[in-house]
Amino acid sequence: METLVLFAMLMGLLAFGAPISISLGLSSILFIAFFSNDSMASIALKLFEAAEHYTLLAIPFFVLSSGFMSTGGVAKRIIRFAIAVVGPLPGGLAMAGVFACMLFAALSGSSPATVVAIGTVVIAGMVQVGYPKPFAAGIIANAGTLGILIPPSIVMVVYAAATDVSVGRMFLAGVIPGLIAGLMLMTGIFIVAKIKGYPRQPWQGFGEFFRALGDSSFGLFLIVIILVGIYAGIFTPTEAAAVAAVYAFLIALFVYRDMGPLKNVPIRKEGESVVVAIVRNIVQFFIYLLPAMLHSDTKKVMLDASKTTIMLMFIIANALLFAHVLTTERIPQEITDWMLNYGFNWWTFLIAVNLLLLLGGQFMEPSGLLLIVAPVVFPIAIELGIDPIHLGIIMVVNMEIGMITPPIGLNLFVTSGITGMSLVEVVKAAMPWVCILLAFLVIVTYVPSISTYLPTLLMGPEIIIH
Amino acid sequence: MRQYASPFRLRGGVVVSISRIINTFEETVIILLLAGMTLLTFSQVIARYVFNSGWVDALELTKLMFAWMILFGMAYGVKIGAHLGVDAFIRLFPRPVFRMLALIGPIAGISYAVILLFGSEVYLSKMYKYDIRTEDLDIPRWIAYSILPIGLSMFLYRCLEAGYAIITGKKELMIAGHEAVELVAENKDVLKD
Repeated sequence: METLVLFAMLMGLLAFGAPISISLGLSSILFIAFFSNDSMASIALKLFEAAEHYTLLAIPFFVLSSGFMSTGGVAKRIIRFAIAVVGPLPGGLAMAGVFACMLFAALSGSSPATVVAIGTVVIAGMVQVGYPKPFAAGIIANAGTLGILIPPSIVMVVYAAATDVSVGRMFLAGVIPGLIAGLMLMTGIFIVAKIKGYPRQPWQGFGEFFRALGDSSFGLFLIVIILVGIYAGIFTPTEAAAVAAVYAFLIALFVYRDMGPLKNVPIRKEGESVVVAIVRNIVQFFIYLLPAMLHSDTKKVMLDASKTTIMLMFIIANALLFAHVLTTERIPQEITDWMLNYGFNWWTFLIAVNLLLLLGGQFMEPSGLLLIVAPVVFPIAIELGIDPIHLGIIMVVNMEIGMITPPIGLNLFVTSGITGMSLVEVVKAAMPWVCILLAFLVIVTYVPSISTYLPTLLMGPEIIIH
Repeated sequence: MRQYASPFRLRGGVVVSISRIINTFEETVIILLLAGMTLLTFSQVIARYVFNSGWVDALELTKLMFAWMILFGMAYGVKIGAHLGVDAFIRLFPRPVFRMLALIGPIAGISYAVILLFGSEVYLSKMYKYDIRTEDLDIPRWIAYSILPIGLSMFLYRCLEAGYAIITGKKELMIAGHEAVELVAENKDVLKD
């Protein structure tokens, strides 16, 4: 009964346009005021708790590194490489779009940023060589969701923080599912392209392949730093994120030079000898290091990253408060008992989780939803013998699909915004590919080893501590 | 931009406005906190591997800066309308009803801030009374946590301001419908036929 009041307050505030963070916070505060003995002082202190959570400290750093890497210049380099790899296949440009989204996801981790950066280039290119625009838009809207499944991913950091599993494991667990999802979309494109006779791109030779690889490798090395760094124990995930942010800053301003004081200054000038170029670049690096840090472009990236971090962390802080109320009221235990009494087994339970998340994803921001749902679902999953890492990947894939299902799908809005197509048109265009991702969800849900194989192989079997 | 209203003249005819100064101040503080956290954490990794040393208080300082960034920034978030919410449902109502309902957001924000202000005051005065200090940095806890009442007061002010803007019709809602509103606005219709 009291639980119903709590959820009714939350839903009411959400529906009537209060911010998600305030809806979570205020409903928890009122619930505590009326039904519990906690003091308001301890609740005010809870706002501090999110910032004191070591795992969550990775979020601002990942957001920042994503900001430096989400530029149009990085997107173009990755697209060039993607075209050099899969372009010659049937429907090559569309496949390159998916492949580019996968690679970009490893740098940016933000789905809307992926859709905008890759979509603006690839959709225009596809339309130019004769693909129908809805086909192009539908593919990019879907492939863009891979951002939260392919590491590094903020949603995974939040899951790890909520359930005390290792961030490194979650990141590794996302690799194979991310590849499979990409391959499934590409296979779909292959079949459609064969039937409809969509064009291939000419094979540009190994020279172009290696040039494109070399050019994009500076950016892609970011994901290597993060995964190898965490896996080899060189640094913690939080430190890895900070290193990634500094690395992304250096690459964006001194190597790619899409922004900052050295913008439009070539690394090697026409007719300049290699030695002179190296010396000049080293000198320039030291001269321009401080100006680069203070440059207005850097400031803009920092400010955008700050806004995202603050918005996200304020939701997380309040969601932690809400989750605290749920646990102190023993609501997870009640639901566990109820579900076990009704004879839920692991696969019917996972169906229930899928439905709950697909529904909840319509109203809530993914990390907030995850923080509320995880404490409820996690103990039941452990009880039923489901691997925590596997559960995490299922939840992430659900969030992913939530981004492209109407009525409130973030990627649908973004795609509609940049293409000028109506929301209904985008929904129709995305639908066939959403079906592929739904099939993918079923596979991920019922084949645990897809998620757990890589982390178990590299980090040993998962130990559940209670 | 409307938020830069109320200009006044300094000598030399330079037009500035108080709200612009405040805006720059808020943005600078937030950026410096983020930059500080990043560089501090990065320098700890470098210190460990290159100089084989480290600063034990670094982590506590980083966490403190993170908390300050969030709590200082939440009011800024209200000002720029960055806080996410669901606008689909209340937009279904006819215009006059919608405008009334839009006030629920600021009212919720105000109640939230007032209750927590009260709570944080209780907590801080206890910390002050018993002179409790933070674990590593050894500064008085009430100073470290003073951002709670500061941030909440600023948040309260911005919610009041948002409520007033909604009543006078200068603002529709205090929330952003989705997280990419700005990103989409920047790239609006770039691919339109």
